Amino acid sequence: MPNGASSSWPAVWAILRKECRSEWRTRYGLNAALLFAVTSLTAVTFAAGPLPDRTDLLSALLWITLLFAALSSMSHAFVRETESRTLLMLRLVASPTQIALGKLLFNLLFLGVVLAVTVPLFLLLTAAPPVRWGPFALVLGLGSVALAASSTLVGAVIAQSRSRGALFAGVSLPLLLPVLAAGVSGTRAQWDGLPVGADARLLGAYAVALFGASLLLYDHLWED
Amino acid sequence: MSAAAVSVSASGLTHRYGRRATGVEELEFSFEGPGVVAVTGANGSGKSTLLRIVAGVLRASQGDVRLQIQGRDVPRGLRRTRVGLATPELAFYEEFTGRENLEFAAQTHGLDAPRAAAANALSRVGLESRGGDRVAAYSSGMKQRLRLAFALLHSPPVLLLDEPGSHLDDEGRAAVREVVRAERARGLVLIATNDPQEVQLAERSLELVARGLGDPA
Amino acid sequence: MIWRWGIFLWIAATMTASLLWAPLVPVLGETTRVLYFHIPAAWVTVLALGWSMIHSALYLWKRDLHHDDHAAAAAELGLVFCIAATVSGSLWAKSMWGSYWNWDPRETSIFFILLLYGAYLALRGSIEGDERRARLSAVYSIAAFVAVPPLIFVVPRIYATLHPDPIINASGKVDMNPAIRTGFLCMLVGFTFLYAWLQVLRVRVSRLERRLAI
Repeated sequence: MPNGASSSWPAVWAILRKECRSEWRTRYGLNAALLFAVTSLTAVTFAAGPLPDRTDLLSALLWITLLFAALSSMSHAFVRETESRTLLMLRLVASPTQIALGKLLFNLLFLGVVLAVTVPLFLLLTAAPPVRWGPFALVLGLGSVALAASSTLVGAVIAQSRSRGALFAGVSLPLLLPVLAAGVSGTRAQWDGLPVGADARLLGAYAVALFGASLLLYDHLWED
Repeated sequence: MSAAAVSVSASGLTHRYGRRATGVEELEFSFEGPGVVAVTGANGSGKSTLLRIVAGVLRASQGDVRLQIQGRDVPRGLRRTRVGLATPELAFYEEFTGRENLEFAAQTHGLDAPRAAAANALSRVGLESRGGDRVAAYSSGMKQRLRLAFALLHSPPVLLLDEPGSHLDDEGRAAVREVVRAERARGLVLIATNDPQEVQLAERSLELVARGLGDPA
Repeated sequence: MIWRWGIFLWIAATMTASLLWAPLVPVLGETTRVLYFHIPAAWVTVLALGWSMIHSALYLWKRDLHHDDHAAAAAELGLVFCIAATVSGSLWAKSMWGSYWNWDPRETSIFFILLLYGAYLALRGSIEGDERRARLSAVYSIAAFVAVPPLIFVVPRIYATLHPDPIINASGKVDMNPAIRTGFLCMLVGFTFLYAWLQVLRVRVSRLERRLAI
C-alpha cells in the first residue's frame, strides 16, 4: 500500500529523476532553451558592444537576457505534460504538492544549466569588469530561486489555458519585476564595490514568500 | 490477502461541464465490497465522469463520493492511494519503456519494492515480454494492457476500469477477466462498460440515465 | 435609480465646488485640480485590487462562484480606474515637470498595478470553464498578492536609486488647505461610492449571464 502525504521526499525525488531522464531522452527542451539564450545574448551584446565601464547597463542587460531565457524555457515543464497528456498519470501517483515540488527542483536545475552557459558568455562578450564571485553568485542564485518558484506556479496555471506561449511571459512579468529590480541593483552594486546585502535580502525574502504562497496554492491547481 | 471492507457511496452527486452539458445529475448509490459492479449507460451518460470523481481526480460540482476503507473515510486527496484507475485518457511517457513507466509510478507511490511491483503488474496483464520496449512502439492494445497494469500496481482495494476491453484481442480480454476474478475477492471493482460480456462479469449494476453530454435536449 | 442620481449629483457638486471655490496649492498652481480626480482614481485602483484578491481567497475557500464574480468585476473596474489614474498622472507630470513619464516611485507603482490587472484579465480570458477559470485566476491572484508589497513599496525605491530622477517630486507633500481637503475627501467618498455601485452592477450582470446560459 502506498504512503499518503507522509513521505513526500521519495515522490518528489522520483519525479525529479523522471524529469531529468525525460529531458535527457528527448533533449529538445534544453536545446531550444540554450539556443534562445545564446541568440538573445548575442543580439544584446552585439547591439551594445563592449561595456567595460557601464556597470548600470551591464547589469540591466544581463538580467534582461536571463529573464528572457527563463521565460522562454520555464513553461516547458508543464506544457510538456499537457501535450503528452501524462498529467493524469502523475496525479494518480503523487499529490499536487509533490508534483509541483519535483517540477520546481527540475526548473531550478534547468535554469542553472542555462545560466552556466549564458553568464560566462555574457561576461566575455561585453568585456565586463572582473566580478566579485561571492556576491555575484549570491544575487544570481537567489534570483534564480525566485524565478523558478514563480515559473513553476505560473507554468502549471498556464498549461491549463488556451494560449500558452504568449501568455506565460505576460502573466509572469508582474511577479518577476521585484526579482528584476533587486537583481539588477545587486549585480551592479557588486561591480561598483558596494554591499549587496539589501538586495540579497529582498531577493531571499521574496523567494521565500513566493515559495511559501505556492505551497498553499499547489493543492488547488488540478481538479479536473 | 484478506478482503478489505470497502464501500463507495454518493448522494446528490452532480457534475456539470461548462454551462450546459451535465456529466452526472443527482446521482445516488451505495456499494460495498468485495465484488464487482457494472456501471452502464449510453455514451455520454457520465460513466467516465463518475469513475474520475471516485478516483479523486475530478472534483464534482455538487456533492461528493464517499470512499470508506474498514470504516474510515478516505479524503479526496488520498483516494489515489487506495484506488486504481484505468481509463482511455490515461497516457504514459512515450520516451520511456513500459517497465520504466511502471517503476516510476511505483516509486512515486512510495511502494517498498517498486521493481518487483512493476514486474508483477506487467506479468498479470501479459506484457512481461514487451516491458522493455518504449511505449511509443506499443500498439493500442498493448497500451490498454499497460493501463490495467498501472491500475493494479499498488494493490488498491478499489479498482476502477473504464471500458477495459477496448482495443483488446481475445487474449487481452481473457487477461482482463482473470484480473477481475482475482480482484473481486480482494475488494471492490467498478467496470464502466456497455459490452455485454463485461457486464456479465459483475453481480450488481448501476445504470446512469442522467442527461449526459451526449443528450442534445 | 436613486443611487445613480445620488452619486452623480454628489460628484458633480463636489467637482464644481472644488474647481470654482477651493484655492490652489502654491506649489502645484493650476494643476491642483488634477488631485481631485487623479488621487481618488488611484485610491479606487488599490481598493478594487484588495477587494478582488480577498474574493479570490474566498472563492478558493468556499467554492462559491459568487466570489469569483466579485473578483473578476473588481479587476475589470480596477483596470479602468487604474488607466484613468495613470493617464491623469501622466498628464499632470507633463504640465508639472515637462515630461509624460519619469519612472518616479508613484508612477512606477501605478504602472505595476496596471500590469498586474492586465495579466490577471488576460489569464481569465484564456481559460475555459467557469470553475476552472475561477480557481486558476484565484491562484494567480493570491500569488500576485505576494508581489504587491515589494512592487508598491520596495521596487520603486530601488529604481529611484538606480535612476535618480532629475526633477523633485513634490506631489506627496501637499499641505492641504481646509477647503481643498474637504473637496478632496468628498471626491474620495464620491469615487468610492461610484466604484461600489459599478461593482454591484457588474456582479449582477455576471450572475445573469450565467443563469441565461443554463
